[in-house]
Amino acid sequence: MPRASAKTDSLAELQRRQPAFRGLDTGHLACQGCGQALGARLVTEAIGPDVLIANATGCLEVFTTAWPRTAWRVPWFHSLFENAAAVASGMEAALKRQGRPTKVVAMGGDGGTFDIGLQSLSGMLERNHNVLYVCFDNEGYMNTGAQRSSSTPHAAMTTTSPIGKERMGKRHLKKDILSIIAAHHIPYAATATVAYPSDLRQKVRRGLEIEGAAFVLVHSPCPLGWGHDGALSIEVARLAVQTGVLPLIEMERGEVIAAMQLRTVRPVSDYLKLQGRFRHLFQNDPHALEELEHLQALANHNIEVYGLRAESPTASDSEGADTVRRGGLRYA
Amino acid sequence: MREAIEGSAAIAQAVAFCRPQVIAAYPITPQTHIVENLAKFIAEGRLSAELVSVESEFSAASAVLGAAVSGSRAYTASSAQGILLMTEVLYNIAGLRIPLVLTCANRAVGAPVSAWNDQQDSMAVRDAGWIQLYCADNQEAVDTTIQAFRIAERTELPVMVCVDGYALTHTLEPIELPTQELVDSFLPPYHFARSLDPRNPISIGNLVTPEYYTEARYVHHRALERAADEIVAADRAWAEICGRECGGLLAFEGPNDARVGILTLGSVFGTLADAREEYPGIPRVKLIKLRAMRPFPIVAIQRACHGLDDLIVLERALSPGAGGIVGAEVRAALSEIPTPPRVHNFAVGLGGRDMPLSILPRLLETIRTSGPTRFNFFDLELNKVAEEDR
Amino acid sequence: MILTRGSFARAGSSLEFNTGDWRVKRPVHVHRAAPCHGVCPAGEDPQAYLARLAGGDPRAAWQMLVKANPLPAITGRVCHHPCEWHCNRARFDSSVAIHSVERFLGDLAIEKGWEYPVRKPQPGAPQVAIVGAGPAGLSAAYHLLMRGCGVTLIEAQPVAGGLLREAIPPYRLPRGIVQSEVDRLLTAGIKFLPNQRLGRDVSIEELRSDFRALFLAPGSEKGREWNVDGVVPIDLRSGLELLKEWASHGNLPSLTRVAIIGGGNTAIDLARVLRFTGVPEVHVITFQTMPGDVQARESVMSALPRQIEQAIEEKVIIHDRRGVRRLILRAGRVVGVEMVQMKEITLDDGRHEVLSFEGTESVLHVDHVIPAIGQEVNPTGMESLLDQRPFFATDSWGRLHDDSGVLAGGDARGGWGTVSGAIGDGRRAAIAIDSYLKGNPLQADTPAAPITFAELNINYFEHVPRTEIAALSVECRTVETEVESGLNSAQATAEGNRCFSCGECMACDNCWTLCPDNAVLKTTDHASDGSHYIFDYDHCKGCGLCAHECPARYIAMVDEP
Repeated sequence: MPRASAKTDSLAELQRRQPAFRGLDTGHLACQGCGQALGARLVTEAIGPDVLIANATGCLEVFTTAWPRTAWRVPWFHSLFENAAAVASGMEAALKRQGRPTKVVAMGGDGGTFDIGLQSLSGMLERNHNVLYVCFDNEGYMNTGAQRSSSTPHAAMTTTSPIGKERMGKRHLKKDILSIIAAHHIPYAATATVAYPSDLRQKVRRGLEIEGAAFVLVHSPCPLGWGHDGALSIEVARLAVQTGVLPLIEMERGEVIAAMQLRTVRPVSDYLKLQGRFRHLFQNDPHALEELEHLQALANHNIEVYGLRAESPTASDSEGADTVRRGGLRYA
Repeated sequence: MREAIEGSAAIAQAVAFCRPQVIAAYPITPQTHIVENLAKFIAEGRLSAELVSVESEFSAASAVLGAAVSGSRAYTASSAQGILLMTEVLYNIAGLRIPLVLTCANRAVGAPVSAWNDQQDSMAVRDAGWIQLYCADNQEAVDTTIQAFRIAERTELPVMVCVDGYALTHTLEPIELPTQELVDSFLPPYHFARSLDPRNPISIGNLVTPEYYTEARYVHHRALERAADEIVAADRAWAEICGRECGGLLAFEGPNDARVGILTLGSVFGTLADAREEYPGIPRVKLIKLRAMRPFPIVAIQRACHGLDDLIVLERALSPGAGGIVGAEVRAALSEIPTPPRVHNFAVGLGGRDMPLSILPRLLETIRTSGPTRFNFFDLELNKVAEEDR
Repeated sequence: MILTRGSFARAGSSLEFNTGDWRVKRPVHVHRAAPCHGVCPAGEDPQAYLARLAGGDPRAAWQMLVKANPLPAITGRVCHHPCEWHCNRARFDSSVAIHSVERFLGDLAIEKGWEYPVRKPQPGAPQVAIVGAGPAGLSAAYHLLMRGCGVTLIEAQPVAGGLLREAIPPYRLPRGIVQSEVDRLLTAGIKFLPNQRLGRDVSIEELRSDFRALFLAPGSEKGREWNVDGVVPIDLRSGLELLKEWASHGNLPSLTRVAIIGGGNTAIDLARVLRFTGVPEVHVITFQTMPGDVQARESVMSALPRQIEQAIEEKVIIHDRRGVRRLILRAGRVVGVEMVQMKEITLDDGRHEVLSFEGTESVLHVDHVIPAIGQEVNPTGMESLLDQRPFFATDSWGRLHDDSGVLAGGDARGGWGTVSGAIGDGRRAAIAIDSYLKGNPLQADTPAAPITFAELNINYFEHVPRTEIAALSVECRTVETEVESGLNSAQATAEGNRCFSCGECMACDNCWTLCPDNAVLKTTDHASDGSHYIFDYDHCKGCGLCAHECPARYIAMVDEP
């Protein structure tokens, strides 16, 4: 296919000839710098056009499909909040019966995955449907105004875990979804982030290629909900990885088989101080200090449990995996 | 071929003849035998379908929704608690105008917990936007199920086939089962215009703003109203090839000059018909079998009640704090005609309470002696109720 | 709009909605100079030619390079490469080996016979005269040719090249290289008149009347007078003089123990030549300090650090932070020098001061002293323009007086006196002459504010070691053999790939990959701003992610107009 020329092609022509599949196109209503929009764009890029998407209620669904417009260029279906995995199960069964090789991908936010949709997800995984489930984790019910979900990190401020004399943000810890997924022993599960786009696309492709159920969690910064400038979404996402807060791992049948090594481990405060939802931890207060230490301890725990500290630099570690080259040339 | 089979088995056979590709269900009494039979058919190679044993009714409805929108004919069944659990999905399916068939094995809804038959479950979801058809006996269950797929796929409205739990599902009756060829000639392969297709990608399930929402609801309402024609047509077409009809939207039997009518839904009709044989001395009564609850056949009801002085509406559910459900809708329908009959609305047989044949003479006696009844529990035994709760 | 059945929507419908209306700021491509471009004395843009080399097109790289400097095979050997000192990569792992890449491209061009992007002048082209065919004069000639002028190049010596041929030794700058670069220039359309000395064979007044403009680049032939207590021997000769004589005739006085005074390239070059030709003991005495352990305000030796290093390997003895107080003579001949500790410091106002520390005297026994303390212009034939000064007084373009059409450059202008500086002088003078001839206003040439290291997004770069230049082992070195080797094609390209592309698009796809709104569009050819991407302003929301994550800081967020 002839490539797009700046000199001769109109904007519309350029859009059509981009050398990447625009599964999620422009013109959607996401906030500026939305991590989830970027994540969904990268995911659909990696999947290609031959897919049916079952999308749960949430930010992604709302900002992409306000009638009469849709930003999706792939077949897309939204039912309810808690049933993306169940709808996907039915889609997969249908395609199997029809003998069509089209893949089914379910998408949901952390609310629709960790909380209200956990049951249908568990059912889909237990039955090992040939479906890739992608969870866009922006750590809260952002579409409805940033309320806490079980995925919200400990001590984060949300509208239902606000700061006050009695409280320092969310009391409970972030739900350990990876252990829950691991207990289902599905062929493939992984965590990814928009800060490492090639890693993300590679994991999506792996999830798509295996036979059986796959789960990929995409960490997606929410500028509005997390309290940072939209321009910093990638930086924030990258720091989540480099501090050990978000381990980037891959699991097969519940066993961790790969984890992105951290070449330089950054202190958790580097990640937290960029976000308004953790601002209260930086005031001169013994509770604040305690929570800061707690969050550091949780990160340290991740590093230990998943073996994240790099012994020596590699091209796929936390500093090598996002290396750019003149002319493009990414590994995924 | 006529054979004596359990209602559930007959329904399962009817479903199998319709060649669904995906079946998803969660076990609940008294639906279980339907799905178990289907599972057996699949295992024996008599039915080529995916059976998705989901982890709740919510997922059952969701899975068949996913299948239907992906281009496969799909089927599910449930009762009572399961119907209520999947209610959100039922509204979703109907609002999106997805063709599906669901068997509701009517059962009382807890609390109090009850495993026995009444029609509170299907009545509770009458506003979800589905076509609702009630079966008077197991033959009708078979015939209506087959017709339901065709109606659904032509109207793009999902169809709920209501079958009284235990009373029909677990009862042996002589049934005339059609052949696969007959069903194939009546029901073409599944075709849904908006099936998800990568070659022509669309987005389904969009957010609709106040600017367009009213119109969307109007379209849905009108579609249901117009579905009445399709329901009648399907019944006639089926009758043409197999010789049996279920009565379209509504049927009645009894002398033309009867001044009393009894309107009911489901298997009670059979009880009343038998009772009329059993009690030949009672006044002449017209028995009206309401088959379609949605769309509500206002004109057909008005016509059926023409010339009646009294109409008893006998129903198997209620709206607590208000009274009868069917009764209220019938009254509203009759309010449009110049001289409507007096309507006597009774709930009966709730939670599976037995309805003996003597119910018929007692009903007729009741309306003769005590004027029109807005609403009452006909078979209430007040001596079981504490003083302060009366 | 008519409702669709079940309210479905069609693919592509979102494009109708112009989310670009939400913007408060918009991303724009802004080319800024890389620090290497800002500091190159010749005005090269190394980022630009490294990009082309990394892109697999060395010829395009050379063509970009020679837009500023026509002598890369030469400067790629002798330049003091301030580009590398300011290279932002130095703060990440090590600077890009720009100097070696320049040499690679220069040598490749000679090998391939690539031609300059200049044409012979048209008939009726304005004629300009240049005095001096050293690097400044050659550069001015080249740049004037590029601008369509006719050039007459007058040179006192029989051959062109100036100090390139006369003084820089062949182990540093092979004669064949000088020959090739100079010949290519001379055959590009310049009228070359050798053996014409100003004052003797031709006068300034003749030149001013016969030509529309005049560029003086006679170099600094005269040695500075050496200020030292006491008498000086009759046969005292300057370092440059001796080097020139050796270079042209191979003559050197017979020496045993020599002290060369001075810390510049001339001093070191002479020291090494003397060692190569067998002088047993060679000392270099300078009040500047050796590179490495430099204290505050101290001046560092102006000779190239690698040259100093190699000199030491060749057993040249360097006495830094020292000066000669007086010469010790017997029967008119030098038998030693009295050294004292000294320091040259820079004051707050920028002036230099040389401090001398009483009580630190020592004696060095030598039989010959050679001052290499700097040069001045030989005023013969130019007295009126010099007006008793050691160098021409000019503005930054080289103009002696506004609108007079007489300019000067190179060593004759004073300053540090480097080859690349001279080439830069020639280029700037050509620009000024071109403006003068056309009557156009002279526009500033300085590139926009250079990118600092802090502005880059280094998360996207990976550490790659620099390819170092190899040098012959000491035993193998001779005065005629080039000591330093160059890079091969793979190494040069690898260095090109190490360039951060400061302030310029490197088509890394980051902006295109990371835009949540698919509002960055990739193109095969260059867009009008030189980048490989176009912003879809109909839909760009101005979030600034692209700008923040551009590794080279090529995207700026500006207020929405």
